[in-house]
Amino acid sequence: MRKPCLLLLMFVSLLAWLNSCQQKPAGQGNTGFAFKEKLSDYGFFTGELKALVPRKGVVRYELSTPLFTDYAVKDRFVVLPEGKAAKYTTHGALDFPDSTFIIKNFAYTSPEHKKVMIETRLLFKDPAGKGWKVMNYLWNDQQTDAVKWILGKKIPITLLDDNGEKISTTYQMPNTNDCKRCHINNSVLTPIGPKARNLNFTLAGQASNQLQQWAAAGMLQGMPALKDVPQLPDWKDSTHYSVDQRARAYLDVNCAHCHTKGGDAFNTGLFLEYEQTGHDQLGIMKQPVSAGGGAGGLDYDVIPGDPVHSILVHRMNSTEPGTAMPELARTVIHKEGVALIRQWVAGMPRQ
Amino acid sequence: MKRYNRYPILALALAGLLMACHSSQEDKDGYKTKLSFGPGDETKIAEAFLTLKDSSSIYLKEGTYKFDNLSIAQVKHIRIEGAGPDKTVLDFSSQSQGGEGIRVTDVNGFSIHGMTLKDSKGDLIKINKSREVVITYLHAIWSVSDSTSGGYAIYPVMCKNVLIENCYAQGASDAGIYVGQTDSAIVRKCKAYKNVAGCEIENTSNAQVYDNDFYGNTAGFLIFDLPDLSQRGGHVKAYNNHFHDNNERNFAKAGSFGSTWGVGNAAPGSGVVILSASDIELYNNRIINNNSSAISVVSGFFIDSNAGAKMNDHYDPIPKNIRIHDNEMQVGDSFPPAVYEHHTGKILVGLEQQLNAQDPARKNARLPFITYDGITSNVLTKGNAANPDSICIRQQQPNLFVNVHALQMGTKEWRPDTDVTPFLCK
Repeated sequence: MRKPCLLLLMFVSLLAWLNSCQQKPAGQGNTGFAFKEKLSDYGFFTGELKALVPRKGVVRYELSTPLFTDYAVKDRFVVLPEGKAAKYTTHGALDFPDSTFIIKNFAYTSPEHKKVMIETRLLFKDPAGKGWKVMNYLWNDQQTDAVKWILGKKIPITLLDDNGEKISTTYQMPNTNDCKRCHINNSVLTPIGPKARNLNFTLAGQASNQLQQWAAAGMLQGMPALKDVPQLPDWKDSTHYSVDQRARAYLDVNCAHCHTKGGDAFNTGLFLEYEQTGHDQLGIMKQPVSAGGGAGGLDYDVIPGDPVHSILVHRMNSTEPGTAMPELARTVIHKEGVALIRQWVAGMPRQ
Repeated sequence: MKRYNRYPILALALAGLLMACHSSQEDKDGYKTKLSFGPGDETKIAEAFLTLKDSSSIYLKEGTYKFDNLSIAQVKHIRIEGAGPDKTVLDFSSQSQGGEGIRVTDVNGFSIHGMTLKDSKGDLIKINKSREVVITYLHAIWSVSDSTSGGYAIYPVMCKNVLIENCYAQGASDAGIYVGQTDSAIVRKCKAYKNVAGCEIENTSNAQVYDNDFYGNTAGFLIFDLPDLSQRGGHVKAYNNHFHDNNERNFAKAGSFGSTWGVGNAAPGSGVVILSASDIELYNNRIINNNSSAISVVSGFFIDSNAGAKMNDHYDPIPKNIRIHDNEMQVGDSFPPAVYEHHTGKILVGLEQQLNAQDPARKNARLPFITYDGITSNVLTKGNAANPDSICIRQQQPNLFVNVHALQMGTKEWRPDTDVTPFLCK
């Protein structure tokens, strides 16, 4: 009996020790979920991976006004766990259930008009920590798969912009912390794009509204009547929306994830959410706080009627580090975006 | 029998495991993971920064490292350590994206010490929304001091409990050491040279700045409150500092903030500038050879007639409760040349000329040491109290003080006066 007792004692102390070893402070990496090594490991797509043909349960979606990233071609998908639905929210991203994946693929159009895959970004809502986690995957040269890649990468590419013009640039795949900078609000990592108002439109060639399709498919609960769902203007749609609406939608999507209370640019006092009404907060005759040389020797963020001397336009129209806005994930100037913001500022009555 | 034979193996395995566990246990500073790298390991270092676990320390051996940028986000209890500022050098001159060399976001318990950071495109180290931040023996330098330099060298913002000690900043086109929108900060035993502002405490509450040496900048030391920010500053003490020979041209990007807020306004030759900030005590400092104005106290109205519209819980344009006492002050025989090319500099030159024209008995003396714009809360209350905002001065020097009466400037009634009596500490 003595020896089995000893064995038991050793076993118990081993358990106790293992337990004590695991008592690390709460932080990233301590919860159950670990990202897989390759994009193909998840089985999100069927057939040739780069075709991004979703398997059942992987749902493609689009945004009425998307974030600009070097004229990248983006494919977006959401994967809800079996039998679960997202809950409708008026503000912010929809409330997705635990174990949701959001997939965003980045590619560019080559001068030969081929779609060249660059990177795939995943967001996963970890049931263990109840929080979102991010991971990036870098496509290989053979374009057969993408591998887990936390470091970020500078990738020289030549792409065609929206007008078919050739641009050579060094695409900057963000690193893990870069991803967090845009996705953190008040220290909580959160999706940016899939807000009800930015999903609330009917895609070209489809019979019904995207949100209604989600609700009908059981993917979305608690959605009010469609007329009561806010709608973010399509920044390109000059038929249905004013310059002001389009510009504000553009700023909301491209700037407001940082330029909001609790966001990465909270310290600047410049807040560009679509709902924002404060003149100072919108930068109108607002002096910068910490722009340094990035302000380009200009005094105000926005001078009504004077886009040439407005810092907002100046920084959007630059690719210099320290000046360029957004700071991350943009190495070429978004000509059409800058033109819209110029038009918006030029159209404001002079004070 | 066979079963019993396993005992020693199990015991050995246990012992091995225990040792493995112990080797990763806390060192004497309480860091559970300790990593060490040398020059050539840049990729591994960048990766280590991105995958840091709570309670980790990274040691960078002697040598020069080249980085695009580095970042740490959302972890606790992190230390970055070099072999010393003269030995471990992080060179960010190849930076191609982002606003800073090192970016720290949302870290509770961050310390960095013993290295030099140099030549980033934006700021050198920005620490955002972090707590218990300790920056020691850190040199943050731009090789060239001009408008191509980044804004801030050492830049904690929206933090809580910050210590900056034994650091050196050089070449910033804004402030070498800048503490913004932070609660509780200490800056001590630091040096700053050839920046636009040596050190700036902005919208920061409960700060102490002492035993520092800020010299050869455009302006030595600024305490500012600006509108539209997350918090109001105040309760700042600066003592036992040496602010001297801050007479350089203002190289904040040409025209930057020319007519409005910010460091572009600082006149060459400024020792200390207090703008819109309240509850400030400035004492026992040596403020020497800042050849325009040793100490300036100005309101937000001085630079923006619309400042009143920006008043709220987070901003009051009128400086209040300013205590200035027992400072040693000296000023040179003439203005620094750079002052004549600067917009607020020209105002100081004009002020000296006006005083001397008004009062021949001054015998063309220099501008007094302390310049107060005289824009008080009487502007808001329509009152006429002599010192409604509790400015308190206890200094022994002759030619001590001038009340600019800035609201009359440019009119025939303008008569700056040098009577300090209403402002003497009671």
